Amino acid sequence: MQARTLYSILLFGGLGFLCGCDRLPGKPKEEDRWKPPSEIKDFALLFNTNCRGCHSNGQTLSASISMNNPPYLAVVPKEVMHKTIETGIPGTQMPTYSDKAGGSLTEEQVNILVEGIYNWAKGHEAPTDNLPPYSAALGDAERGKAVFAQACASCHGSGGEGTKGKGGAVDKAYLSLVSDQYLRTVVIVGRPELGMPGFREYVPGKPMTGEEISDVVSWLASRREGPAPGQSAKTAEIAPKTQPSTPNE
Amino acid sequence: MSAKDRPITSSLVNIAMWVERRLHLVKIWKATAGHPIPKSSASWFYTFGSMTLLCFTIQILTGILLALVYVPSANEAYRSLLFLNYQQELGWFLRAMHYWGSNCMVVIVFFHMTQVFLWGAYKHPRELTWISGVVLLFLTLALSFTGQVMRFDSDAYWGIGIGAAISGRIPIIGAQVVNLLLGGPIIGSDTLSRFFALHVFVLPGAVIALVSLHLRLVLLKGINEYPTPGIQVHKGTYWRNYEEMLHKDGMPFVPNGIGKDLVANGVLLLVMVALAVFVGPKGPEIPADPAQVISEAKPDYPFLWLLSAAALLPNGSEVILFFVVPLIAVILLIGLPFFSNVGEKHYSRRPVSILVVMLTYLTIGLLTYAGITGPWSPRMEAWSGTPTKPQFITGRSPVELQGALLLQGKQCRNCHSVGGEGGQRGPDLSAVGARMNQPQLIRQVIQGGGNMPAYGNTLTPQEVNALVSYLVSLRPINTIPALNPAIPEKAERVSSGEPTKGAKTGG
Repeated sequence: MQARTLYSILLFGGLGFLCGCDRLPGKPKEEDRWKPPSEIKDFALLFNTNCRGCHSNGQTLSASISMNNPPYLAVVPKEVMHKTIETGIPGTQMPTYSDKAGGSLTEEQVNILVEGIYNWAKGHEAPTDNLPPYSAALGDAERGKAVFAQACASCHGSGGEGTKGKGGAVDKAYLSLVSDQYLRTVVIVGRPELGMPGFREYVPGKPMTGEEISDVVSWLASRREGPAPGQSAKTAEIAPKTQPSTPNE
Repeated sequence: MSAKDRPITSSLVNIAMWVERRLHLVKIWKATAGHPIPKSSASWFYTFGSMTLLCFTIQILTGILLALVYVPSANEAYRSLLFLNYQQELGWFLRAMHYWGSNCMVVIVFFHMTQVFLWGAYKHPRELTWISGVVLLFLTLALSFTGQVMRFDSDAYWGIGIGAAISGRIPIIGAQVVNLLLGGPIIGSDTLSRFFALHVFVLPGAVIALVSLHLRLVLLKGINEYPTPGIQVHKGTYWRNYEEMLHKDGMPFVPNGIGKDLVANGVLLLVMVALAVFVGPKGPEIPADPAQVISEAKPDYPFLWLLSAAALLPNGSEVILFFVVPLIAVILLIGLPFFSNVGEKHYSRRPVSILVVMLTYLTIGLLTYAGITGPWSPRMEAWSGTPTKPQFITGRSPVELQGALLLQGKQCRNCHSVGGEGGQRGPDLSAVGARMNQPQLIRQVIQGGGNMPAYGNTLTPQEVNALVSYLVSLRPINTIPALNPAIPEKAERVSSGEPTKGAKTGG
């Protein structure tokens, strides 16, 4: 009789265990279910899988500009960011992401990325006084050389060739891989996380003006051999000396 | 028993006796379940056969229940598995039991064959029992393979692809075999139907037929006695001695000899239920869609050793792995009772048999381990989702940072890790600048080599320069770039970059 009771407990207990309990470790969980990439709507997941390889989320460093970067976000218009993610930047390592242009992200996902990136700056907005325009025509290269000598030479060397332990800014390979707009954006916002300050701090007490920035970018662009990224040699020859309002990588 | 019950009982007895007089069930029972076995055979080592049968029975039962929901069509199969996993009450448990039942069956068939081999049970007069067992092993593996195809996810898709690629190499009839298996030259809508037919009709039918033959032979030729070292098998005397042994020292399998089998099967059932409850079913993973490149397709456990063997063998030796080795294995397995028909049975007098078992288990075990842990596929999302660690960013010049971007953008990280993160198909690049000098790196990038493709056509000279500048900078602090031994001073001069940290660079 005792044995029968034991068997009954084991049998019904076991069945109850299987039927009633939704927390059995082997039961597949909804969150583990595979979802098509187009169904991912979580900003952090989208950023970490698509952008994080090159752009920091502010927690660590990255080879390209950090996106969790209020001074940068204060300079770059939202629509430019949107377009950059959508279509990429030809000739650089920034690929196309929109499914309309051959990428893998839907319009909704691109919007989630843009909103999420700009949300990082909320509550930490950078000062906008004296802020130079995001995009502008190239300036005067000769004047730019003088500006460079004054504002940049202490780290990058008088001719831009670099100083010991600090990188050159006129390396031919480097200049052929970055657009004029990228140079302009980096001059404006710097790479503070890597020790390069922004336009306000190159010369203490004297923020660099928009004109000076255009000039120094013009001088850097003049040191480039061959076309800028995304331009053919012929286009480069006839192109007006303006910076496209496409974005930086 | 009350008086009222008596007429019913006696009616039931009458019906039973009527059936018995026509079917002679008692006689059949005595001849099968009650067949005499040597007392020494009631051993724990002799329980693997019945355990295999339990696995197969569970597979049949769970398979029938799964078939009530599963839709064997390329469009519906995946969805029906999701229904079982997430909507059908205990559907996930059913899938898990079928999955773990399959894995357990393969493992226990191996144990069963190992025991039969080491205990010399394949020798005279049980040659055909062994041969039918060998065929059952192949059928079990075929069931396992076709079963994984039923999931119709990326594992299944690429599994079929590899299976078809192997079949396509069969001389002369390769293309026809592929056509027959896939229902066309490529995986299409007919493929799943064909594998379904194999999995639920052809193969189980063949197993039932072969198991019947196998059990019939066990009954006819008897269970192998527990071997004693020094006692030889002689064709002329074995059967007479065996019958004498049964006469003097035998007992009916049921009820006297079945105890250990029942316990072992009970334990196995508990293990299978535990695996199902605690580990759960497998997949379905990413759907069977070749456009979904972010998948690390791997076969189920029974074929992982084959995956790593195929991946590790040198290029060009596929024919040996897929045709010569299996042919030799089949000849050896089927021919075993003829090569070694008489003589000693006990493993302690057959050291070669122990060596063979050890080598087989080591080979399959290590290859399976490599199959589980090995980085067999590139990490296709590493280029966009795996950041570079700070120590590989700080102190780099603008051009080196562009090189770091190229390492991501050109998807080098999918195969190469830096600081242990990224793909592992190629070598880790954390200290590549100390191993290879600038010209060597340029050559490797442009021309490829080893398993690495050539990137000369996809990179501009400036991109190569930037990339190599960055690679040269990847080396431990305070080490110089790798030198060219022929012209060390020149190599030192042309190698750019220092593995500096914290310098003001940017750009």
